[in-house]
Amino acid sequence: MKYFIFRNMTIERFFQNLNADFSGYEDVSVIDEQADRYIWFYLAPIAENHIIAEKVSYYVELIEMIAKRITPGKMFIVFTMKCVFTVQSVLSDRMIDDIVNTYNTSLYDLASKYGNIKVLDFSRFLSNYKSEELIDWKYYFIAQMGFNPMIAHSFQEWFIAQIEAIELKRKKCLVLDLDNTLWGGIVGEDGIEGISLGGDYPGKAFSVFQSLILELSNQGIILAVCSKNNIEDVRQIWKQHPDIILKEELFAALRVNWNNKADNISEIAQELNIGLDSMVYLDDNPTEREIIKNYLPEVTVPEFPEQPYMLPYFLKKIAQRYFSIYALTEEDKFKTKQYKQNTERMKSKEQFIDMDSYLRSLSMQLTVERLNKLNIARFAQMTQKTNQFNLTTPRYNESDIQTFEDKGHWVYGLRVKDRFGDNGITGLIIIAINDKNAYLDTLLLSCRILGKNIEYAFITYFLNKLKLFGIEKVKALYIRTDKNTQVESFYERAGFKLDKCSVNRKEYIMNLNRTDFVLSDLYKMEEA
Amino acid sequence: MRDKIKEAMKRTFKLTEVVENISPATCAAWDSLNHLNLIFELETEFNVSFSPEDFVEMKTLNDIENKLKSLIN
Repeated sequence: MKYFIFRNMTIERFFQNLNADFSGYEDVSVIDEQADRYIWFYLAPIAENHIIAEKVSYYVELIEMIAKRITPGKMFIVFTMKCVFTVQSVLSDRMIDDIVNTYNTSLYDLASKYGNIKVLDFSRFLSNYKSEELIDWKYYFIAQMGFNPMIAHSFQEWFIAQIEAIELKRKKCLVLDLDNTLWGGIVGEDGIEGISLGGDYPGKAFSVFQSLILELSNQGIILAVCSKNNIEDVRQIWKQHPDIILKEELFAALRVNWNNKADNISEIAQELNIGLDSMVYLDDNPTEREIIKNYLPEVTVPEFPEQPYMLPYFLKKIAQRYFSIYALTEEDKFKTKQYKQNTERMKSKEQFIDMDSYLRSLSMQLTVERLNKLNIARFAQMTQKTNQFNLTTPRYNESDIQTFEDKGHWVYGLRVKDRFGDNGITGLIIIAINDKNAYLDTLLLSCRILGKNIEYAFITYFLNKLKLFGIEKVKALYIRTDKNTQVESFYERAGFKLDKCSVNRKEYIMNLNRTDFVLSDLYKMEEA
Repeated sequence: MRDKIKEAMKRTFKLTEVVENISPATCAAWDSLNHLNLIFELETEFNVSFSPEDFVEMKTLNDIENKLKSLIN
């Protein structure tokens, strides 16, 4: 089972026990097609409150974009969020809590829309810890580890238990008792006029309960009846009661008789050809529940609320706990309906239907800045530390870098800002200039900003600048390392021609006279 | 102590043997992420807390051993 994990912080340690690959930080551009399952594990960002607020509401859009792009049917596990660190001077300020609550509710909405999305309630795990235990600031600042590595091991155990729960959770069938379960009273004694259904409380509560069950049925859950009644009495209700919602034709199997309920439920399982472990039985009578629990331990038998006004909440819990995941075949049945809902929703709400609109919404501002006293240390540090997006991986110190500048070569850093803030200097290009020729000595970007096609804007900007400067030919080089295979074809994609190629080296050339450059309008580009 | 450090390295880098001159340059598994994992293993094993400045200086067996000794004494 291979996992691909979308993340915004360093969380590898938390998933060490899985066969997993990780996205870049806040990178949703790459979706590993080979993965069997996907995980969304974003921690609440540590930032000023308004940035937390904006980012978190943004994440929901990203999740939906991913949900649309992954292969239907592949499980997509999404963690709820808990804001573990905010500084609030106004104690009554609930903005962050509200934002995070909205986020979490949206996840459940998405899960009901996309059957392959499974929501994991992360706060259940976090409640085992005090808030000051959750972050080790040393690891946070050094490695962007959003959680204390100390709790990684217990997280792994918890997560595996959740996965197992998700897999077992798939219940298919809701088996219902009738008297005092779907309506108030006993039809055999009170008659069709005497039962509570519709009208004032408590009848109203049973109506709501029935309509919620109908909703489950609409979502593909099989309904069945197992009750001790005379079938004629019940049919009379189904046919004649003005407020009946769950009518006979909605039930896939009926056992309305005076036999032992355990036998009846076994028969229903056989008739529907489903396992007992995929059934949930609702009955107001504790004695009957005990019988089923004892004789058919595979069947799930939840406690039933004593007060009818608790029925809506009860059913919501049942739905979340046992029916929030549906088998694929049942989803297929309702695909058209879901599809219709999707298109309607798309009309009413702005969404990222493609990568460009996502990128555009980031309002990215790219600033290139030439080597100076303030940025030289950062430039050198980037050559030392950057492994993945690094075409030639030279390791320079400050004086090496200064030498390029002294010889009249170009040394530029890239600063990336977006609507969420300033990422700082996160890219570097060193271009050796030799008369009408240029050579791309160094090109690197920090993994923090990958996944936004910034690399193309960055190189295009400089190719254009070289051309305006009178350069005719640009050479470039890729040197393979253990870490930089993701850029092995970068120069091809950027429009270079492969000149020479060996196992660990690719040499490129581009003739600037024959190329026109168009800077993408997704980015605001400027020179400091 | 040196043996315990080597054991932590074996666990972190998934090695069967740890050579005396091991370093990020000679060991492919010793990347930045596993460097953190190693630090964490050592902190847990020896019940110490390294400072962020220590992190960058702990790239050989000798450096790690000296750092640990200075913290424990």
